[in-house]
Amino acid sequence: MSIYLDYQAAKPVDPRVFEVMKPYFTKEFGNPSSLHNYGYNATNALEEARLKISKFINAPSPDNIIFTSGATESNNLGIIGAALRNQRQGNHIIISEIEHISILNIGKYLERQGFIVSRVPVDRFGIININKLERLINEKTILISISTASNEIGTLQPVEAIADLAQKNNIWFHSDAVASESTIPIDVQKVPFDLLTLSSNDIYGPRGIGALYLKKGVRVNPIIIGGGQEKGMRSGSENMPGIIGFAKAAEIMKAEIIDEAARLKILRDKLIREVLKIPKSFLNGHPEKRTPHNANFRFDYIEGESLLLSLKDEKVEVATGSACSSKTLEPSHTLISCGLLHEEAHGSLLLTLGRFTEEKDIDKIIEVLPSIVRRLRILSPLTPSDLLKKLQEEEN
Amino acid sequence: MSVHKYTDKVMDHFRNPRNVGSIDNPDGYGKVGNPVCGDLMEIFIKVGKNDKGEEVIDDIKFRTFGCGSAVSTSSMVTEMAKGMTLDDAYNITRSDVADELDGLPPIKMHCSNLAADALKAAINNYREGSEPEIEITTSCQLEVRVILGVDEFKGKGVYLEVPDLEELREKRTLIVDTGDDSLELALKLTEYTGRVIVVTSAKETPGTVEIAKNLKKSDVKILHQSELQEIKGELNEVEKVVIHDFDEDENYELFVDAVIILDYRG
Repeated sequence: MSIYLDYQAAKPVDPRVFEVMKPYFTKEFGNPSSLHNYGYNATNALEEARLKISKFINAPSPDNIIFTSGATESNNLGIIGAALRNQRQGNHIIISEIEHISILNIGKYLERQGFIVSRVPVDRFGIININKLERLINEKTILISISTASNEIGTLQPVEAIADLAQKNNIWFHSDAVASESTIPIDVQKVPFDLLTLSSNDIYGPRGIGALYLKKGVRVNPIIIGGGQEKGMRSGSENMPGIIGFAKAAEIMKAEIIDEAARLKILRDKLIREVLKIPKSFLNGHPEKRTPHNANFRFDYIEGESLLLSLKDEKVEVATGSACSSKTLEPSHTLISCGLLHEEAHGSLLLTLGRFTEEKDIDKIIEVLPSIVRRLRILSPLTPSDLLKKLQEEEN
Repeated sequence: MSVHKYTDKVMDHFRNPRNVGSIDNPDGYGKVGNPVCGDLMEIFIKVGKNDKGEEVIDDIKFRTFGCGSAVSTSSMVTEMAKGMTLDDAYNITRSDVADELDGLPPIKMHCSNLAADALKAAINNYREGSEPEIEITTSCQLEVRVILGVDEFKGKGVYLEVPDLEELREKRTLIVDTGDDSLELALKLTEYTGRVIVVTSAKETPGTVEIAKNLKKSDVKILHQSELQEIKGELNEVEKVVIHDFDEDENYELFVDAVIILDYRG
């Protein structure tokens, strides 16, 4: 069995979640729009699930929750839907330099539709510059969209401050909570998000289902038109097995998140402490203000895909910000925005822990990584000659 | 994606690369690629003669910074070329290398280009008899050229004299190498921020022997053979700079918060 440390990319469905989903594929197949008993049962199950999701984020009412097909759709509905809804008030939207690719591309799409999109820069840890955000706001600004945390470097954004700023200026604040959903509790009554993106898979529920939270009074224009489900904001027959699974996952997460985050933080801190003993290794992102399950390293003089392949040989599955592992051959935009040089961004290694990560998995990577880094540095023309000599001696 | 598509042969060369290392006083030396795009490769050759009096590659070594296929193609090209006549070795193409490896994922074909090209560069270097490399060990950017944006951002992230270092705490700071003072400042600044970058026209670590030694030991990042061309920002604050790399003859952007140019004459 391989060791899996790429929980940010995909998570397995929790067996407890899978169990409750099963009847909804076969026996409980009703459509909530139908008026017969099958439909009636489905409506009840749907509304119970909606209540569970609302409790997961401490929303005042289940009416605040719109089910979607996942985080990407929630981001589309939240940002495009809000932009279209408020275009008479203004055409200016602010996102950050290090948003998830779905939001960056939504920004580009809206620019082509005539909106003006500003991108607030980040510091070397990936934290947005709040003063700059404030100064970017003008009378045409209708929406700010900044994620709760980075999916790559785990950096937590000052969402309270952003929400205050947005409220003060009467601007909606949308946030993609996917990267922090599994380790940091969300309370929408404490932080007044106007719109919030949630994903099911990121809390060990099935894929193909997600939600958009809308604060009371916030409405968006639909981007999927049809039979008017989800209060007209998201048409299409409800994905009942997905919704049931998502709700169960949220219920489990709500009960376990504090303990789980504490457990993962201990493992993650050990990982960081040990890996940084390798010479010329660095932690990307913020040392403290980061999600407890995320570690993102870089190693001078080596390239990320080589690192990933070598770890794969040791049966450790990880991710990298290297261009060579991407479809576009571009290095991670997040690391570049933090001010890394291209060759540094190419050498990054992203490790994300999750519910089924154990201490022995962390010990394994701590054991194999130093010799892999050494071997690749011996191969590299960028390694300075004095370090090369030292490494060659160690190798022999 | 591609990771799963590597052939067994590619993985074999990746795991056990042949002919790794360098050759002292090589007859030919070739270097191609660019760390900015994720690949850099060096090839060293020793040339001898076979029974027929033809020139052949007696020995060949490589070093590569890059992805799995960059390493494998480098290793493969050295294995193919070893013992070949120079003419035959010169004719090795990127598809020859890929074919020998039982193919490469389409997106990786540029990496195998690199291996064959590095070999060609080494052979050219041998045939043309030019110096393998011209070393520039001292800084040449003492006379700083006009840099766009200096006036616009002066006092807003651009410093033309030694600033209060406390102001630069945790700031991503770019320092133009204008001589030893600027390099000493870069070293000092590492006590305040983990992100200090020096841009220098020098090919090797610049400064006196002592400074160069300390720079090598420090976490200061050095952009060699490069110059600062432009400072950009929004809302009256430095956000990024445009760096020109002479070696690759290309420009790229870098995100920074502050720029220090101690000797700027505009």
